[in-house]
Amino acid sequence: MEYQYVGKSYNRPDAISKVTGKAIYLDDVRLPGMLHAAILRPEYAHAKILKIDTSAAEKMPGVVKVVTGKGCHYHYGDNIRDLVPMAVEKVRYIGEPVAAVVADTLAHAEAAMRMIKVEYAPLPVYVDALDAMKPGAVLIHEENGQYWHLPTLMPKPGTNIANEYHLVKGKGADGMKDAEVILEGEFMFPHGSCSAIEPHGSIVWFKEDNTIEAWSSSICPFIIREDLATSYGVPVSDVRVHIPDVGGCFGYKSDITVEQTVAWIASFVPGYPVKWVATRQEDYTSTLLGHGIRTVMKIGAKKDGKLVAIEAKIYHSGGAYADTPVNVTMAATHNCTGPYEFAHCDLTGYTVYTNTPAVGAYRGYGHQETQLATERMMDMLARKLKMDPWELREKNFLSEGKVNALGEKMWKTHGNIYKCAEIVKKKVYTKAKPAEDENFYYGRGFAAVMKSPKGAPFSTKGCYMKMNIDGSVSVVMAGAEVGQGLRTVIRQVAGEALKIPPEKVRVYTEIDTQFSPYEWQTIGSMFTTQGGRAIIRAADKLIAILKATAAQVLKTDVDYLEYDGDSVYLRNDPDIRVAVKDINRGYITEDGITIGELAQSVSDARLPRYSNPDKNGQGSCGVSYTFGVQAAEICIEKKTGKIFVDKFTSVFDVGQVINPKQIRGSVMGGALMSIGATLYEKVDYSPEGKITNPHFYKYHLPTYKEAPEMDVEFVETPDAIGPFGARGIGEHSVIGPAPAILNAIYDATGVDFFEIPVTPEMMKKALETKGQVTK
Amino acid sequence: MSEKISFTLNGKPMSVDAEPEMLLIDLLREELNLTGTKRGCDNSTCGTCTVVINGKAVKSCNTPISKVAGAEVLTIEGLAKGMELHPIQKSISESGAVQCGFCTPGIIMELYGLLENNPNATKSELENALNKHLCRCTGYEPIRDGALMAQKLMQDRK
Repeated sequence: MEYQYVGKSYNRPDAISKVTGKAIYLDDVRLPGMLHAAILRPEYAHAKILKIDTSAAEKMPGVVKVVTGKGCHYHYGDNIRDLVPMAVEKVRYIGEPVAAVVADTLAHAEAAMRMIKVEYAPLPVYVDALDAMKPGAVLIHEENGQYWHLPTLMPKPGTNIANEYHLVKGKGADGMKDAEVILEGEFMFPHGSCSAIEPHGSIVWFKEDNTIEAWSSSICPFIIREDLATSYGVPVSDVRVHIPDVGGCFGYKSDITVEQTVAWIASFVPGYPVKWVATRQEDYTSTLLGHGIRTVMKIGAKKDGKLVAIEAKIYHSGGAYADTPVNVTMAATHNCTGPYEFAHCDLTGYTVYTNTPAVGAYRGYGHQETQLATERMMDMLARKLKMDPWELREKNFLSEGKVNALGEKMWKTHGNIYKCAEIVKKKVYTKAKPAEDENFYYGRGFAAVMKSPKGAPFSTKGCYMKMNIDGSVSVVMAGAEVGQGLRTVIRQVAGEALKIPPEKVRVYTEIDTQFSPYEWQTIGSMFTTQGGRAIIRAADKLIAILKATAAQVLKTDVDYLEYDGDSVYLRNDPDIRVAVKDINRGYITEDGITIGELAQSVSDARLPRYSNPDKNGQGSCGVSYTFGVQAAEICIEKKTGKIFVDKFTSVFDVGQVINPKQIRGSVMGGALMSIGATLYEKVDYSPEGKITNPHFYKYHLPTYKEAPEMDVEFVETPDAIGPFGARGIGEHSVIGPAPAILNAIYDATGVDFFEIPVTPEMMKKALETKGQVTK
Repeated sequence: MSEKISFTLNGKPMSVDAEPEMLLIDLLREELNLTGTKRGCDNSTCGTCTVVINGKAVKSCNTPISKVAGAEVLTIEGLAKGMELHPIQKSISESGAVQCGFCTPGIIMELYGLLENNPNATKSELENALNKHLCRCTGYEPIRDGALMAQKLMQDRK
């Protein structure tokens, strides 16, 4: 649909501050009397702490305080309260905080931190869920089952299983009896890091008046506020959290992570703000990781390609604390069915404690890990059935009236994946594939994908809107701008809703819980959808106020009035009108008596009818879906086994494009992140649980020269929930690259891979053992 | 032992008393509060700390300040003339190259080092320059677009 401001490429309101170096990120915040913290990490990934000797560190220059976990009696967490701010009796992963030094400078803090001596008694280390689940495995949390947890979670006391989530649809596993063809496979999506270029960091300041003020490189100021208030026994309103500009998130700056540790440290030096910023190494070892998901999948179909049943076991190496991975596992489990309808589902997800950093959100939130399995299995099943892989998928796509694993009926307004498939087919498959030559094999592959938000039923986004005397509008929300461009979206949606140019909409910069409206957290590709809805609701209320005032001025009923951005006027006689600028602070009559209300409003928006899972693991736990199809065109160098992605195509049904330039950038960035995961990125552990590659020069992010040519296109089937028909797209482009590339590798060489990253060594070895490749 | 080191910073004379081994990034950020120069890694890989020294793009995180004695140092804060953005800043702000913005100052300084010396830099020179910088947001295409827009503006300026 044509809109006046929506659908056009406005520039970001924060671009100028970012190109001039004036944007303030966490490490740029300077406060009076600020002290610096350095945190000691353990030598073992799993060990009892026998003794900590801080005496030498205390005598070092500049040292104000040395802090350990001794005496820390509280746990925290929003799903399972199993987290501690600093290790107390044992360490459970290699990046865990063991002790910290607060000093006048960071250099002094670091020098003193190295003088702390700790004696450990090492325990067995498990880096993979399957090892931690073995009978007789040492418990990483002896308290498993005793921690407070959400009533929907099912920990298994006496094991390392922090939660078992089980979903049954139809006849469940018995449905497999209806299948004529059955295919099984096991796939591994290893631990990775979001690796934002800005490392995590926080500042916490315990004040003499019993209030707490904090700054964090985070997307959840209100969770931090509530968590700190609970842990330190102060009213929520006495904790003030600021979020400055955030230098990339991609998931791992959601949920409360490093803030509690910095708060624990700062609580020992009341009166002084304490800053801690992760080194790059700490960003890998001591903040949240992504993925770590093994999928064992069984798909049953009829001979004609009709899918009937799916069984899957999801083994999630969730890390040392389960508060953050538990929802990732659940999302990975119920979304492992991909964009297809199965009459019968039996899906189990295990969140397992491992001696690795905790897994948290990573762009895609569980979807890419298990849809890697689904989309590889669809290609393999098509081979087995001697069917065209497109035809097989199209026969089973979720579309209007079909029912997904959760039991949700799909609406027409969830979008049209058939159209996405049609466009990708035309773009990629109507031309001939290059023929194998002396140096290269060539291949192409595709994947059809879907994503739901995986939020929380109470998740909401607030909006404060006020119209100024000149008709310009200030919008304050608490969506964290991490680069995704939500400030531009707010301007355009508010402009459209208020019928004023986006240039007249000024958007907030930092978030401050003292002034910003409540927002749960900025996750799940949901800002445009929920935040946009909140903006429209606020605009409607604001326009209603203008009309109510105008009704008095024009001596008529409100329902005779229209609003066009400049004026409010009589519907049947537009000559009778009053200018918005004359009524937005109320209307001043001839004798000075002022009537009417100030044009300002408050609103919020949730996903409608979003619920917790029921006893079958089903429920209204998706509500909003975005579908798409992605394809990779690759070549493989015979001599080296190197895989080059020459072109990558993404087509999504986003309902309505708000800003073409921004949405293209978002999709390209996501696709490249996942190309990185497919070909280069993996957090490596030694058998002792040490992370062996916690640096950019070892954990390789895709560089300029490795970025393929990108083809990005959008289908626009209007959504029922989002503003002007728009739906979520922030994460979706990360889902298809891994299966599309692995399918392309098969197309090129006849080799099936079941895990990523596919390194040149793996590729070369596979080609060698295969000998002369035959298709 | 601290030493007196003099240099030109963003066009103005600057003199500091500091340890000569101190890294330029620490001087800029911690002593001079020029926080536009960012720190993204521990070992000179990401490129976000890039500044321009004597016309050449250099990583400030592995440059001891002894090396800038007598030199002309330019940081991101020194590029705009009042309200007038440098063509590279203008192009990068409009091409979609800015998302989170954390890699942006380093990339702008890299392009400044390249294009101010040689506005006719070849495609491969441009690629080699951009390949030194990590961006996690954009997929790089909008950065290339911004670089090419800037190159055009700078060629027309001459």
